[in-house]
Amino acid sequence: MAKIDIHVNILRYQPDSDEKPHWQEFAISVDDDSTILDVLNEIHWKHDGTLAYRRSCRSSICGSCAMKVNGRNVLACETPIHRFGRKFKIEPLSGFQIIKDLVVDLDPFFEKLKRIKPFLIVDKPLPDKEFVQTPEQLEQIGESTLCILCAACSAACPSSWPNSEYLGPAALLKAYRFVFDSRDDCADDRLEIVNDKNGVWRCHTIFNCMEACPKKIKITEYLSRLKLKVVENSL
Amino acid sequence: MEKNFKQTSRSGAVAWLLQRISAVILFILLLFHFITYHFLTRTHAVEYRQVLERAQSWWFPLLQFAFLITALYHGLNGVWSVLEDYLSSRGWRLAWFSLLLTVGLALLFVGTLTIIKLYTLKVA
Ligand code: SF4
Ligand code: FES
Repeated sequence: MAKIDIHVNILRYQPDSDEKPHWQEFAISVDDDSTILDVLNEIHWKHDGTLAYRRSCRSSICGSCAMKVNGRNVLACETPIHRFGRKFKIEPLSGFQIIKDLVVDLDPFFEKLKRIKPFLIVDKPLPDKEFVQTPEQLEQIGESTLCILCAACSAACPSSWPNSEYLGPAALLKAYRFVFDSRDDCADDRLEIVNDKNGVWRCHTIFNCMEACPKKIKITEYLSRLKLKVVENSL
Repeated sequence: MEKNFKQTSRSGAVAWLLQRISAVILFILLLFHFITYHFLTRTHAVEYRQVLERAQSWWFPLLQFAFLITALYHGLNGVWSVLEDYLSSRGWRLAWFSLLLTVGLALLFVGTLTIIKLYTLKVA
């Protein structure tokens, strides 16, 4: 492990003193195997304690640390700096209101998630023990359950940028995850919610969400299956 | 749970489905177009008389008209679905929709005239 000198440009915004966001450059020395989060910690702990950013698990699990590095949405805690060289820029996720520096307001994101009822709803009598699923049934939803709600996909979606009402890929993926869950009994309700101009039909299969997803979930494919399901059920 | 898909036609489901169906039809028509126009021509160079003869066979106006309708629907529906992302006010939506409809009808008129003209042209 060796020390390297890097130049990091960070989009800063302090609501009390700044009228609009502006860039600030930090020239620092870090270990060459650092992650973006290590860099932010280094700046926060040793150079500028006012720098705000979210992080919690440091293990790509909690989804708090999604941000944009050199224009790409990444999880700061899992992304090594060598992907970007010795000079790079860090900004908050697009499409959300900035609260402070790299912290964005995710309330609208979670509001949309709530609209699709992101929990298992069971009408049938509960089994004595656990629900039994075949490997095929699990396979159908397996990958979509890996979502950590980091919002990188919704922030990368061009259909979301001009239209704050669009449910966005993360909420739609969650709808898919429950609609296709063999244990769930609320598929029709969820299909009705996503069958809207600002629901699944706002998705134009641009694939940005898939590119941005740190969990490599094939979001666009699942949203296409969801569209077919809506059409099957409604026509 | 009771099914309740009231807003299917306005939700975008029908437009989405028709966009896919028209894409498949366009693909088939294009294949047919390429095969009949470019590969089944018996001479090396395409001649005026040959083109006119083909244009006056019974299937030509049918094929061209199907082409015209599908291409117009597919193209304009595509443009409309892009515009819908950016137009939030009712006024602008109405204005753009009317413009697209007018363009569509004008092109349909011109296209139909051309097909009829070709079909009825006297071979010299
Ligand atoms: S689908 Fe991927 S990018 Fe979107 S919220 Fe879930 S983990 Fe993040
Ligand atoms: S800190 Fe939890 S995902 Fe990065």
